[in-house]
Amino acid sequence: MFGGLKKRLLAARNRLDTSIGAVVEPSTAPVETTSPEVPAPETPGFPSLVDKVKILIIDRELVVSDKDVSEALSALEMTLLESDVALPTSDAIIAHVRTSLVGKHRKIGESVDTLVVRALKNALLTVLGNGFDLTEYIKTHEHPVKILFTGVNGTGKTTTIAKVGSYLKKQGFSVVIGAGDTFRAGAIEQIDVHAQRIGIKIIQHQSGADPSAVLFDTVQYAISHKIDVVLADTAGRFHTKANLMSQLEKIKRVMKPDLVIYVDEAVAGNDAVIRAAEFERTIGADAVVLTKADMDSRGGAAISIAHTINKPLMFLGTGQSYDDIIPFSPAQVVEELLGGDA
Amino acid sequence: MLDSLSASLKDALKKLAGKTVVDRVAVDELVKDLQRTLISSDVNVKLVMELSKAIRTRSLEEEPPKGTNVREHVLRIVYQELVRLVWASTDVKLEPQIILLAGLQGSGKTTTTAKIARFFQKKGMKVGVICADTFRPGAYEQLSTLCEKINVPCFGDPKGHDARKIVKEGLVATKDLEVVIVDTQGRHALESDLIQEIIDLNVITKATHRWLVIDAALGQQASEQARRFHEAIGIDGVIITKMDGTAKGGGAMSAVAETKSGIVFVGAGETIEDIERFDPDGFISRLLGMGDLRALMEKAEEAMTGDEMDVNAMMKGKFSLRDMYKQLEALNKMGPLKQIMSMLPMGNMKLPEGVYDVTSTKMVRYRIIMDSMTDAELDDPTLITSSRLQRIARGAGASLEEVRELLKYYKMMQRTLKGLRGASGGKFNMQWMMKHFTGTQ
Repeated sequence: MFGGLKKRLLAARNRLDTSIGAVVEPSTAPVETTSPEVPAPETPGFPSLVDKVKILIIDRELVVSDKDVSEALSALEMTLLESDVALPTSDAIIAHVRTSLVGKHRKIGESVDTLVVRALKNALLTVLGNGFDLTEYIKTHEHPVKILFTGVNGTGKTTTIAKVGSYLKKQGFSVVIGAGDTFRAGAIEQIDVHAQRIGIKIIQHQSGADPSAVLFDTVQYAISHKIDVVLADTAGRFHTKANLMSQLEKIKRVMKPDLVIYVDEAVAGNDAVIRAAEFERTIGADAVVLTKADMDSRGGAAISIAHTINKPLMFLGTGQSYDDIIPFSPAQVVEELLGGDA
Repeated sequence: MLDSLSASLKDALKKLAGKTVVDRVAVDELVKDLQRTLISSDVNVKLVMELSKAIRTRSLEEEPPKGTNVREHVLRIVYQELVRLVWASTDVKLEPQIILLAGLQGSGKTTTTAKIARFFQKKGMKVGVICADTFRPGAYEQLSTLCEKINVPCFGDPKGHDARKIVKEGLVATKDLEVVIVDTQGRHALESDLIQEIIDLNVITKATHRWLVIDAALGQQASEQARRFHEAIGIDGVIITKMDGTAKGGGAMSAVAETKSGIVFVGAGETIEDIERFDPDGFISRLLGMGDLRALMEKAEEAMTGDEMDVNAMMKGKFSLRDMYKQLEALNKMGPLKQIMSMLPMGNMKLPEGVYDVTSTKMVRYRIIMDSMTDAELDDPTLITSSRLQRIARGAGASLEEVRELLKYYKMMQRTLKGLRGASGGKFNMQWMMKHFTGTQ
């Protein structure tokens, strides 16, 4: 899904390259040797004093100035914004890249490319945080592991639960689903069909029933049948509806979930950040699932949500079938975005 | 954080307030804030760039109309450019028609189908819906449950797998009805077999309208998706859903620009009645996070067609009871003062609470009292001695306290206006600004 972003980032990176490269060109262009790709995981902090002195004495070096990068950075900002990275998040990334580039002492022998890539990589990794390994979590916690799914309307909670259920079943866990969306017409039928198709037990009440009661029953069922995982569906709700949010709080009180998963769509724009923050504030979130990632090759929402609520991204939903779900690994994504050369 | 953004936009506008010559730096700053505001409302970045370029050139090149200050000049251009974008004619005609709804997964097509059915039903049309979503489990149950509630026939086959066949049969079943709405499966532009399906459905139904349903939260992807849908079936209207959240609907704006159509309906709520015709002014206000500019202009215009205010005298700092009389009269026509103030894009400027406290009944009393004053008294309230006070009270059938209260209110207004002038660099007060809003129309 990040294909589009990758292309754009590459272009931005080249721009940074040339704008920094241009400064040195007159005197040192011939010296410029492209050193092989240096792996990024180096301490992001500043070089120690000893290092500095060493560099000063041994290597001639150049200092990257604010002026060199400002134009390329504003191009990068546009790139991020066009990729649906929310405004505050892109500001943070730009600031990160700027501080890590400006004033940096660059050895003549070192390629500009390496410097830029490292700065970008660090910025993205800082923003994306760590992934979340659900399998590992379930293995190391007491069963049943109760997982509550929340989010606004139409982001794909029900479909995601079916996918996660199928994923966990394949991993050898036993799963039960609680049909907690008792509000939307057809929601219970929808999850019922999903559960039948993937062969998972579902606990449901009638339409209009109290979702807390449904989910409480689901947990009781899981305990008495020694089931590993409880997946709790809820009705989509907007963070602006106080009564629906307090209903969610009640659900949380009653079923005491181990994990609260916030589900949103990858195509959402700036509002993704606002509502994620609001959900995080009112009922909390332990991890995020982004759906509809196949619609969009940019994936900016992933970056902005992770940055705003500072919670790991667990899965990406990438299509209509049950197998279209992939665990998210930030290091891998960043490597994929910036690692490969053009 | 959005609040802070629109606040900075307001600040930028405020800086332009006192200026008489268009200042390049200030306009640049305003345009930059405008860009950030629009981008954070999810309007397509390229569209924002085009828009801001147009606003910038027009602001700098066009001569401000006589009597308008720079701020009003720029505001007017911003408003016009935005309206130009979203305001296409999207009349909903009450005649027999077939409506095909298309959109991404989870954008709210099924709910919208029921809402539109209800809309036409309330207008007295015979309505039916066809559920062509054969993929998502529970889709038929959802639509038929909703339709049952409003007593609209719903055609579909929960076991069927061929949307084309269902639609063909559905059209036969609903041929006696006037308005037929076809709900389709959610799809996105990269799913080519589904795009082919919607092309076929469009051919089969010979749809009168092909409306694209867009989630208000949809981001930069909106342009691209809208373009592909437009290429496939020729979108002639956009419906924004989920406007009851905090999303600004900028994606829908990009979609409209892409399809060269207009916004037909806005969905904002979970009940079946929660659908409205599109209102460009409210929408733009929401995008920009500012008061409703248009409503204010219109209201001011209405109110000001009557008596002319002595603006010159007020600009010189003179504010007599007579001015207050006219002001009360004008404000009376415009509704509660607080509401008017909230519509003004004046940023965080605050009036003392007491100014708002004058209710409309009180305003009427005040006017009656002032009717009992002589011209000289109206021009110079300091003339009013205790014997004059008694005469006025008797003449107006009011108590002495009421007259004193009026004079107190007058003094407060006078102070407030002085304060306003001070706060925004010279000749600026509400009345004056309103007058000039009118002048620009």
